[in-house]
Amino acid sequence: MNAVLPPSEDELNAYADGQLAAERARQVGETLAGEPALAARVEEIRRQNRLLRDAFDPWLAEPLPRRLLAAARRAAPIPSERWQWAWPAFAAVISLLLGIGVGWFGRGEVLQLTGTPVTFPRQAAVTHALYAADANRPVEVWASDEQRLVNWLSKRLGFALHAPDLSSLGLALVGGRLVAGNDKPGALFMYENADKRRISLLVRRDGEFSHETAFRYAQEDGVGVFYWIDDNCGYAIAGRLDKGQLLAISRVVYQQLAALEGSPQKR
Amino acid sequence: MRNTLPHPELVAALPRLRRYARVLTGDSCRSDDLVQDTLARAWEKRHLWRQGSDLRAWLFTIMHNVHVNQFALRQRDFANSSLDADDGPVAGWEIPVRATQSDRVELAEVFAQIARLPVVQREVLMLAAVEELRYEEIARVQDVPIGTVMSRLSRAREKLKRMAMDTPTPLKVVK
Repeated sequence: MNAVLPPSEDELNAYADGQLAAERARQVGETLAGEPALAARVEEIRRQNRLLRDAFDPWLAEPLPRRLLAAARRAAPIPSERWQWAWPAFAAVISLLLGIGVGWFGRGEVLQLTGTPVTFPRQAAVTHALYAADANRPVEVWASDEQRLVNWLSKRLGFALHAPDLSSLGLALVGGRLVAGNDKPGALFMYENADKRRISLLVRRDGEFSHETAFRYAQEDGVGVFYWIDDNCGYAIAGRLDKGQLLAISRVVYQQLAALEGSPQKR
Repeated sequence: MRNTLPHPELVAALPRLRRYARVLTGDSCRSDDLVQDTLARAWEKRHLWRQGSDLRAWLFTIMHNVHVNQFALRQRDFANSSLDADDGPVAGWEIPVRATQSDRVELAEVFAQIARLPVVQREVLMLAAVEELRYEEIARVQDVPIGTVMSRLSRAREKLKRMAMDTPTPLKVVK
């Protein structure tokens, strides 16, 4: 048997972050199996990573100031020095108006103005754009760990979830992640076809979903979204596919969820 | 070569840029100015971005540089401190909306602990643990050798662990 070097401090960090080269990762994995103290250190690092993501991820769902959206799109010239002072005041006025808007209308359907990820279809589109474009880490837990993924998300959302099987449409599950919502967190499942095109399913149960809706379609920044509300739960299929394809996917998802309704598997 | 940046990806990166800026500056007012300066710089330097490469990592690099430069400017007024120094607790980090009571305590601890890390360690930890950038990309962001990134990461983690142990209510496992 070849002597294998024990993992260094840096290697333990890289291993925990999933950044160690495959061959060395395999060796370190074997070493850890016989070294509970080292395995515990790796688990400690991963626990710390999860804690940090749980702490900082909700910031991603915050409304974006209009001036930043404009600066990103280069739609408007950057305000001159002279007017810089006015921005905090302007932002405060906008926030106040938004607050009144939310209070007045109850549901978040009027907040398109500032491009905030507030309406459900908008949240679905922005979340999809954010994660589907990420080549290395589109999901937090990969499909190889599907059972753990579904259990974890069900636990965090507080009700039983299912990752629909879309293989009949040529879509394979990539994995999923927890995402921030208005009131409660949501679950994102991502799927991919043979051409590596991705769609995502966002599920969120929230107080704002008190009424059921039929399928609705929205388009946000080039991302198409089909969404519906059923049993206080919002579902959205988002992707850069044409409307017909998204509708076909939505139908299959809806049918599978409806089929579960009658079975004891639902709860 | 197209002399432009992809708008959808740039907009999609905005929440992450804002978050990173807030962690760098520790100030939610100043951080949006940093994001805006970063975007302006990105558009000026757009010919340097290679199509198909990770836009997010490139933007973090620009933000890092803009922040370092602004920090250097401010140092003319406030002497005797450096990017590596512990620069005190950070104000202006709000706890996300409607966290439950126990979550609140825990998140407040996390923010307080992160705020006590030196800026360069805070940066490495955010990029590795939260943004999940490759170590090589983080080395490019900070313009340091990869070994420096790894030692900063290791030190940041060690410090956080010690701070967590010193906290009266131990941090519970987040599943």
